Amino acid sequence: MRNRLFITAMLAPTVILLLLFYGYPILANLRMSFTDLSLLGMKRGGSWVGLANYREFFRSGGFGHILFNTLVWLTATSVIIRLILGLGIAVLLNTRALKQLRMAALGRFALLIPWATPPIVAVVIWRFLLERNGAVNAALIWLGIVDQPVAFFADMRTVWPSIVVIMLWNTVPLIALSLLSSLQTVPHEYYEAAELDGATHWQKFRFVTLPFLMPSLLVLGLMSVFWSFNNFVYVWLATGAGPGTFTNVLATEVYLKAFIDFRLGYSSAIGMVMATVMGAFGILYLRLVARQQLEDTL
Amino acid sequence: MMRRIGAAFVMIVATLGLARHAIADPVTITFRFNDTEAEVRGAIDEFQRKNPDIKVELQRIGWRDARNQFLREAAVGGGPDVVHSAQVWVKEMGKAGAALPLDDLIKKDPPGKGFGDFVAQDLARGDDGHIYGLPWTTDTFAMVYRTDLLKQAGIKDLPKTWEELRNDSLQVFRKTGKTGFGFPAGSSASGAIWFLANFYWWSHGKALIVEKSDGSYAIGLTAKDVADCMKYFKDYLDKGDNPKSNLAASDAHDPGIMRALATGNQAMGAMPPNTYKEIMQAYADANPGKPMPFVSGTFPHPDDTKSSMIGGRMLVINANTKHPAEAWKFVRYMASQEVFSKYYRTQFPAQTSLLKEVDFGAPLKGFAQQFEFARTWGPYASGPIPIGTMWNATGRAFGTALSGQKPPEEAAKALLQELEKDMPAKR
Repeated sequence: MRNRLFITAMLAPTVILLLLFYGYPILANLRMSFTDLSLLGMKRGGSWVGLANYREFFRSGGFGHILFNTLVWLTATSVIIRLILGLGIAVLLNTRALKQLRMAALGRFALLIPWATPPIVAVVIWRFLLERNGAVNAALIWLGIVDQPVAFFADMRTVWPSIVVIMLWNTVPLIALSLLSSLQTVPHEYYEAAELDGATHWQKFRFVTLPFLMPSLLVLGLMSVFWSFNNFVYVWLATGAGPGTFTNVLATEVYLKAFIDFRLGYSSAIGMVMATVMGAFGILYLRLVARQQLEDTL
Repeated sequence: MMRRIGAAFVMIVATLGLARHAIADPVTITFRFNDTEAEVRGAIDEFQRKNPDIKVELQRIGWRDARNQFLREAAVGGGPDVVHSAQVWVKEMGKAGAALPLDDLIKKDPPGKGFGDFVAQDLARGDDGHIYGLPWTTDTFAMVYRTDLLKQAGIKDLPKTWEELRNDSLQVFRKTGKTGFGFPAGSSASGAIWFLANFYWWSHGKALIVEKSDGSYAIGLTAKDVADCMKYFKDYLDKGDNPKSNLAASDAHDPGIMRALATGNQAMGAMPPNTYKEIMQAYADANPGKPMPFVSGTFPHPDDTKSSMIGGRMLVINANTKHPAEAWKFVRYMASQEVFSKYYRTQFPAQTSLLKEVDFGAPLKGFAQQFEFARTWGPYASGPIPIGTMWNATGRAFGTALSGQKPPEEAAKALLQELEKDMPAKR
């Protein structure tokens, strides 16, 4: 009994903060999603419209395209490449050769620069590099890969890869550094034992390194999915969801509906859909994937 | 002795305290301005010199976010005291309760030569008849040309029709390899393609929103009108005389486009006068002593139709302001002849009497001529759909067509369907 009271008392402040800063806003947003509240009519308030906002969103012409952009380009593509690249860089920085050349520390420092760059600065830098007269086009023309400058942010074939490149440049370092610190906890005896058994480099990576990194990969993967799915900054700053609506994603649609069309109720409905999707994903992920992996590892 | 020292000390402290209250702290008002600080710094400093009891804190924000930011802030009781606003936003600001009615202030302390001297009075009044903004500057878009590139391409006269403009642009590209008519084709929420599309429609005697004789509003275009306009501007991108990279440029003052005109890599542009002046300044700085190879002209206006807008800016006082009198004093000063003649020279004043005194000069002649063939937004601003919504929808639709995401016919249909949803049901 006393233990329970103690635990309750210790958890109470956190629970209260969670309710205040998460619970209340979510409930307020949910309520708003059932109204036709407009930014121009905030003093009047909005009228109850039930599920009309949700129906309109799911039936809208752009719904499929927005969902595809968000799930495939913004989330799946960037997360998978981010994890693979991050893992590759971490493994590279952990190699004996790099340590002997004293390049590991330099590599870690170099990784910090893109990570420490604010997203808006990252977008400005890459827009400068990728513009018509930018360094990337100059290099491509000099190498004979293209004859004319490529309009990276205006061409539908290149705009999404360009946005993904900016995201990766800015976020891979965190993945790499997190995995690097996990890599450094792998006991050397395991590698020695594997070598004695005649394991190849690939087999050592697959059967020694990867299992140790799995818990970190799972957590980083989950966090990456949340960051990417909800991301607004990179798309908005790079292309404004254009050209046209080609790179429109859920987060930019929320912004457009809320702050350009002033439809706060409708945009709240989109926000609730996003939260539901991510909530469902998180629960499924933990239940089906992470729990098993964590049990196996531990 | 100690008692006397103590009494003297108390008296000194009390005197200092009273003196401090007698020299009142200046009132601080915030002014949010959406262009470059240098344009108004001199005027603000002069106002503060003349009014030492009023301090003006200048805030800056880009045009893209200006309207939404202010409306959000005002909705929750915040926001700057004085706001730089597009003329067409003022009605909705009044409707939203974000703007302070100025009627009493104007009556008590009229600006300039009286409110009647100001242009765009219809846009300053809300649906309730109250005045919510003071027209501050007026401008219009016009075409600007590099005379050296036109000469190189063998073009002797400025184009008078849209077809001539199209052909001349292509001719520049084919003969010189430089960009012809390089316009921003991007699809941001307040992109410049909105202006070009409307100028095209107006010059053909049509408009997106029209007011009918019974006072109701309607969409004045067919899907074919919209698609034809999209196809016209798409052709520039498809044939390369407007580079595809301009699909990522949304503003008339896009640095890439301004640089291209200043450095002679582009022959034609469309912009307001302050952007044009910046380009000429950039050219002059890079080529001291050389004659300006620039000339301005009107948009094509067959049959003397209107082919550009009488736009401009207003100064709005936030309904939440705690210092309306000081804010009005500042607004009155910023609209004065002294400010336009000495400090704020990149824009034209929105007062008929002051506009008559403006020396447009040779390079700006096209803008002076354009005013004759310009119209106000009228029904667009007073109609049922917020102008920002139409602006965004049109930009997006043109973006999907110009980038090839959708055929123009489909994009045109989608645009009109979206706007129809926001029109009141027909009686």
